[in-house]
Amino acid sequence: MSSAIEIYNLTVVFEQGKIKALDNLDLVVGEGQVFGFLGPNGAGKTTVMHVLLNFITATSGEARIFGSNVKHSIARQRIGYLPEHPDTYRFLTGRELLTMAGHLFLIRRKALRARIDEVLEQTGIEDAANRKIATYSRGMMQRICLAQALINDPDLIILDEPTSGLDPIGRMDIRTIITNLKNKGKTVFFSSHELSEVELVCDHLAILNKGRIVTEGPALELVAPGESLEKYFMRALGVLPTNLDIAR
Amino acid sequence: MTRILTIAWIVWLKMLRKKDIYVLLILLGAFLIIIISLNVFGLGGMVNYVKDAGLLMAWIFGWMMAVNVSSREIPEEETRGTIFPLLAKPLTRFEFLFGKLLGSWSIVISATLLFYIMVVGIVLMRGGSCDLITTMQGYVLHCMALAVICAISMAFSTRMNQDAAASMTYVFTVTAFFLVRRIPVLMFYTEGLRANIMMIIYNLMPHLELFDMRKRIIHDYGPLDFKTFAAVLTYGALLSFLFLILSFLAYRKKHFSRGNMLG
Repeated sequence: MSSAIEIYNLTVVFEQGKIKALDNLDLVVGEGQVFGFLGPNGAGKTTVMHVLLNFITATSGEARIFGSNVKHSIARQRIGYLPEHPDTYRFLTGRELLTMAGHLFLIRRKALRARIDEVLEQTGIEDAANRKIATYSRGMMQRICLAQALINDPDLIILDEPTSGLDPIGRMDIRTIITNLKNKGKTVFFSSHELSEVELVCDHLAILNKGRIVTEGPALELVAPGESLEKYFMRALGVLPTNLDIAR
Repeated sequence: MTRILTIAWIVWLKMLRKKDIYVLLILLGAFLIIIISLNVFGLGGMVNYVKDAGLLMAWIFGWMMAVNVSSREIPEEETRGTIFPLLAKPLTRFEFLFGKLLGSWSIVISATLLFYIMVVGIVLMRGGSCDLITTMQGYVLHCMALAVICAISMAFSTRMNQDAAASMTYVFTVTAFFLVRRIPVLMFYTEGLRANIMMIIYNLMPHLELFDMRKRIIHDYGPLDFKTFAAVLTYGALLSFLFLILSFLAYRKKHFSRGNMLG
């Protein structure tokens, strides 16, 4: 299996060396995997994603997407990205936003029109497509941002906390979209605090803490039968159970 | 080019759908008409006075709009976080900046064109005349000055918030327009190191006064010869490109701080 993401000895230092966000990180994500990227706040999950998208430059090390160095804009041709707390141009309608996104991928007009209808249906937002985004609810905003991330039919989808702030139905919808992408053979790389979500959709996991990978592997192999991902997560981070946990 | 035009198109749509631009246009248009209609010391009937007041307003309005529009584009994208999905696409940072500059500049010169049409219309209504070629040359050079101002404003905004970038652009461009042209006179009264420093400043600062053809239009001095016109135009284009490159150098490795970077 070839790799969608390759990261070798990646180090990112902020504030002139005062903060080490990533510390010699190595990570390989195979094509077609649904890869859950877990870790406590400040572990470095978003930093990894930002390096992959060239929002920040690594202090040292190398990151590649489908074999291309992330510093080249061509590496982003096959990527779709949904940021944490997504926001977009509220003065546009949903359809206009997707048209704009399609033009940035140089998709031809006729093909783009068909693709827009496809992603609107995929994300369940076709009814609101001609409304201004300013009138959208939080969940609809999440969906239209996801739709623009899928406009180029990407082979790798990077999702930063895709279910954060969503109601249970919204979370279930995102889960369904991820599962559909997986069935189409797409690679999904996503971070989440919702361990139950991760448990339901991921086939591979990595737990990050203080800029280092603590553990990584197939979800079924890492988590012992009968053990919840939450317990495994706590164990991997070396967090001792509290009295409250024992009482449970 | 499609990507650059797409970014410019977004700037246009934003400007058209956020109603503040209409308010500004109406207010400045009304102000222009009032200034032109005033009959100060009985000068109201003089066509030259109308041209002078109208073109002055067009310059002030164009300047303000160039600074305000181009200084807010990049900081707004960053604070709202809309920059993230954009740069996650195969769009280079240079294309992003070029698109923003093109969008801002095209809006400003379109609004300025409306002002020129308004001034020429009032002059013609008052029985005066405007030499078409001189006025067109004046407008084109005015547009080039606005391109330089937009590029300077954007260069500042790559590393500053909107207010700071706008203030710095006003200080820099107003100095360039009003003071730099006086340096040779001042150099007459100085010598040695001070004179050398003045000379360096004179050569380094943009010469925005070169783009100002108002006097030629007002007093009907006739158009510039083609070589001079082309030279000034080339100078403006190079200057705009230079500030675009400076923007790119400041922006190409910029780390974005919105959200939890360490998340």
